[in-house]
Amino acid sequence: MKKNVLLMSLLAVFVLVAVVGFFTPAQVIAKDWEGKIVVWDAPRWPDENDDRFHWMKSRIAEFEAAHPGVEIELVEVPWAELGQKLNIAIAGMDWPDLAPVDISGGAIKLKQLEQGVIEPLDDYFTKDELADFFPGALEAYTYKEHLYGIPSSMTVHAMLLNLDIFEERGVEPPVNGKWTWDEFVEKMQKLTFDRDNDGKIDVYGFSTYIMPGYYEAWPFLMMDGARPLSEDGEEYTFDSPEAISALEKFASLKFEYDVSPMEMGGNDVGGCFQAFANPELRTVAVEPWASWAIASVRNNDKYQTNFMVAEYPIGETGQSVTVGGSGGFVVFKQSNKDKKAVVVEFAKFISDTEQQYIFATEYGTFPARKSSQEMGPFADNSHMKRASEMLQYAVSIPKHSNWPQIDERIQAWLQLVLNGEKSAKEALENAGEEAARFLNK
Amino acid sequence: MIFIKGQINPTEVGSRRRLFRRKEKQPTMHLLKQIGKHKWDYLFLLPKFSVFLVFIALPVVWAFVLSFQEYQIFDTVWVGLDNFKAVFTGDLFYKALWNTFRYTLVVVPSQVMIALILASLINPLNRKAQTFFRAAYYLPTVTSVVVISMVWRWMYNSRGLLNYILSLVGVDAINWLGSSNWALTSIIMMAILTPPGVGVILYLAAMGSIPESLYEAARIDGAGPITTWWRITLPLLKPTTLYLVVLGTIGSFQVFAQVLLMTDGGPGYATTTLVHLIYKSAFRDFEFGLASAQAIVLFGIVLIFAFIQFKFLNTDVEY
Repeated sequence: MKKNVLLMSLLAVFVLVAVVGFFTPAQVIAKDWEGKIVVWDAPRWPDENDDRFHWMKSRIAEFEAAHPGVEIELVEVPWAELGQKLNIAIAGMDWPDLAPVDISGGAIKLKQLEQGVIEPLDDYFTKDELADFFPGALEAYTYKEHLYGIPSSMTVHAMLLNLDIFEERGVEPPVNGKWTWDEFVEKMQKLTFDRDNDGKIDVYGFSTYIMPGYYEAWPFLMMDGARPLSEDGEEYTFDSPEAISALEKFASLKFEYDVSPMEMGGNDVGGCFQAFANPELRTVAVEPWASWAIASVRNNDKYQTNFMVAEYPIGETGQSVTVGGSGGFVVFKQSNKDKKAVVVEFAKFISDTEQQYIFATEYGTFPARKSSQEMGPFADNSHMKRASEMLQYAVSIPKHSNWPQIDERIQAWLQLVLNGEKSAKEALENAGEEAARFLNK
Repeated sequence: MIFIKGQINPTEVGSRRRLFRRKEKQPTMHLLKQIGKHKWDYLFLLPKFSVFLVFIALPVVWAFVLSFQEYQIFDTVWVGLDNFKAVFTGDLFYKALWNTFRYTLVVVPSQVMIALILASLINPLNRKAQTFFRAAYYLPTVTSVVVISMVWRWMYNSRGLLNYILSLVGVDAINWLGSSNWALTSIIMMAILTPPGVGVILYLAAMGSIPESLYEAARIDGAGPITTWWRITLPLLKPTTLYLVVLGTIGSFQVFAQVLLMTDGGPGYATTTLVHLIYKSAFRDFEFGLASAQAIVLFGIVLIFAFIQFKFLNTDVEY
């Protein structure tokens, strides 16, 4: 009898636990885990000692103080090496616990997500918590309906205009940063000129570069409504009439209107930036850049420029378009679920409302959280405020597990159009044939 | 029983077999004895050999194994020859091979010839002048390829040094790195015009060891400096030339950093080389199996070239 009572009690407790567990919100709470967490981070804004890792160090110190027994090791990695180092670490199965990764930027391949290198974080967020993020930011970290990271910032591509050159040539900047294609071409023609009367052009209206993984030129290719892949990602659509007409117009800047230098469409990112921002050069009046460049030409003494932010020219759709991305932190595969909960807690700790606000004001990114945006981080920064308005027109780079290969094929053919060797139609059709090899692989 | 000369006496077969067995054992015994005799020498070699084993030999073997696998983080799959099939049916491999071949075909002979000419001009100078020029021409060898590439990239800029020189003679600026017609030529030009320090040093060393008596004999026979160089110096430098050609070919087939830094394989695929392709397969596409197969194929190509070069250039030189 006693045995039966004991058995019944155990069963009752089991059922109670199961029922309570079933109805509890799907949020995992960090337990008392002790040990070491390895965090990789890249340089942010400098402090008075020119330490560009001070923000992460202060976050770590605060978290360690609140979590006795948890030690966090910071590995400082330059941005330029981060992707490659991560890939090597993944190949050797020696990854960090947490790292800043822009999944849409290709630092982590979707194939690696499929193979389980990155932990899905769905169970660590309530619906209310997720509602605080901008949908675009969440979408960037969502793959096959699972959340694979915590968005901490958003980026957008915008046109930067050197106002000194506009003034020198008596050209009015576009009103409120909006211009049609024809207005854009007209202004670029006026901004292209021979400054020293030696018969050679010294300043060009516009320039940019083309290379895999970089999308500064792509809003031009999308201005008539074209997109590289169909919405389901299974079909190449960059050979549509809209894409061909947009690329023809873009190439005409160099070959018909002569408003772009020889390097336009090459792969010299650094040279392109110098031509716009280096005070000793300043040979290009307008260039498109990701939003980080705004902070650079606004705050960096070396490149401080009198500039304004404008939208990409409006094409046949009647609406400006730009390419956006999202930055954030991902948690790498964990074997201990208690440790995983602490790592996720730290990831949340460094990307909460206050931290995203600080990122926006200090680092030149847009918050991925609505609550941070509501704090008004750009109240005294008209450039960033203007660029943030462009987020509503931002489209994402397609999410396809073979996107790096597809992107490389498209960009290679774009380069050949921009150096005058191929026509827009021929290039985009050939790119499609080559991309098809990877679309259904 | 009559035995014909040279025929084996069946009764001796057993003893001959024992003899052969003894002879078969001898090399192993000899090796062990040698190791025992020179144990301290081998002990000093051990650290270097261990490093070679861990960081060179094992990765090479591992790459060979990987070339038959589809590498995945948690579940690597054996795919037989599929990676090799993908190498030869891929759209970029032949472009990369052709670019690499063109680069090698121009750069190796040019660099060897320039090294030979420079060494021949430096050799007659006095010791101080020789030392100066050796150091001067060796300097680019110890300079980072990144620095050299950056300097050349600046020179190739539309407003760079080369286009400035062209403008002085009324020639239009050339899109050196942005045009498919010029990009590979530009990288080749950079390789050729960067002084071949190793070649100069090796040729000078080889020239220094040619006996003076041969030149004296040539002078007595009335040979002028050019005839002497052509008939005596050049033939006696053949082993050095072979060494430089083989090393140069291996190095040229592995050209990578210049391509990555200056053009990243573009425009289009005009400058994509084999190692650049391997790099992208491994670290951009994460296809380690395919990258390993590409590397094994590259190894095979270099091996064939080295074999051909040894076959046609190798001669024993004694003096």
